[in-house]
Amino acid sequence: MAGQGGSSAGGRGVVISDNWPGYSLDLFTYPQHYYGDLEYVLIPHGIIVDRTERLAKDIMQDIGDNDIVVLCVLKGGYKFCADLVEHIKNLSRNSERFISMKVDFVRLKSYHNDQSMQDMQIIGGDDLSKLTGKNVLIVEDIVGTGRTMKVLLNNIEKYKPKMIKVASLLVKRTSRPDGYRPDYYGFEIPDLFVVGYALDYNEHFRDLNHICVINDHGKTKYRV
Amino acid sequence: MAGQGGSSAGGRGVVISDNWPGYSLDLFTYPQHYYGDLEYVLIPHGIIVDRTERLAKDIMQDIGDNDIVVLCVLKGGYKFCADLVEHIKNLSRNSERFISMKVDFVRLKSYHNDQSMQDMQIIGGDDLSKLTGKPQGCSQSGWESQSFPQAPNSCIQLSTQQCPWGTAHHRAVADDIVGTGRTMKVLLNNIEKYKPKMIKVASLLVKRTSRPDGYRPDYYGFEIPDLFVVGYALDYNEHFRDLNHICVINDHGKTKYRV
Repeated sequence: MAGQGGSSAGGRGVVISDNWPGYSLDLFTYPQHYYGDLEYVLIPHGIIVDRTERLAKDIMQDIGDNDIVVLCVLKGGYKFCADLVEHIKNLSRNSERFISMKVDFVRLKSYHNDQSMQDMQIIGGDDLSKLTGKNVLIVEDIVGTGRTMKVLLNNIEKYKPKMIKVASLLVKRTSRPDGYRPDYYGFEIPDLFVVGYALDYNEHFRDLNHICVINDHGKTKYRV
Repeated sequence: MAGQGGSSAGGRGVVISDNWPGYSLDLFTYPQHYYGDLEYVLIPHGIIVDRTERLAKDIMQDIGDNDIVVLCVLKGGYKFCADLVEHIKNLSRNSERFISMKVDFVRLKSYHNDQSMQDMQIIGGDDLSKLTGKPQGCSQSGWESQSFPQAPNSCIQLSTQQCPWGTAHHRAVADDIVGTGRTMKVLLNNIEKYKPKMIKVASLLVKRTSRPDGYRPDYYGFEIPDLFVVGYALDYNEHFRDLNHICVINDHGKTKYRV
């Protein structure tokens, strides 16, 4: 695992290579009800916290003088969004810069088991027409092909916000060169199905603190 | 980075290989006064927290029904000891098991010399004769002069202060880093003279040395290459203790803070 030098705006976040073996589960703690369901730890909770702190700083630096509306994509984005907003609030409290944030939530339903579906539903949230003329920060847990994000952005852009930025905790490395890249992201990971830190497998594993790879036993156990 | 399967008692902790490039500094936050002094981040603070949480659980499992005395070796061990004790307290609060812990602090003061260690001085702490018949747990930090040119020699000198303890306890030593293990062996020899019931050692870091008979603590967080590391209370001439991640210092930093 190594990051690229330079600013994060053009950087690649923490890059986790394809042959990264992860961490053995018995080196960390995790909920007992998941014993036997996981393969290994991909990203420990603590390093997510550290990386998010840096993303908060980068975001403050770029858009810190604006009022922003944070649009959290549920459910997988809730942990990352909560922690990111908390870090931004800390920075705001303890520095000259002040960022006024409102938070709203939307849901995009698009996965069944571990396969991506064709159609996507956007539900919840306030009247999106209120975003007109506002600075919007979309906070997402993971970007894969980018299709979901592009659909969401198209929908938001219809309401003509002043600016839209996207922050995602994870970005999957896909073979497509035109893959969508968020403005801010924590980790670039291999094309694996990951759970934990609010990312789920059929609603399970959201209460797992580390980001892990699920094993076959877990997939079978929680399959619908 | 990968850990070995199986229990931690026989495990190797999180193994950081020699060719591990670490993390670029601009992926994390750290104090501004150290900008330009560091090469890269070896171990981010957050994963230290996660790993320590597991060590606390393992320790509770092994010695959780005893009263223990935690012996923290200052200064480098203070962060690890504080966080480890905090995790153990949390577990104790929230489970059936109850662990009664007292904490004490010692300093291993070495005389400045960049040759092999001759003497080591143990200062501070309560009267070590009170450890007789008691289980001992030590939290310890100490530098091995063989690995670090800056680390001085040390000589053993025991404290003779009065100790208020009257109950039997285990003693656990918590260290920040074990290099060749020589410091730890000297410390253990000294403590064993007082015949505690049991001694365990927990170290945050263990250096991978080429010596097959290198000392291994009972519990350790990370096995690292033979590098000079700073941060998370580990210092370079008293600097970098206030750095939250464990990092490798660069030449600019070494020159800047050289004595």
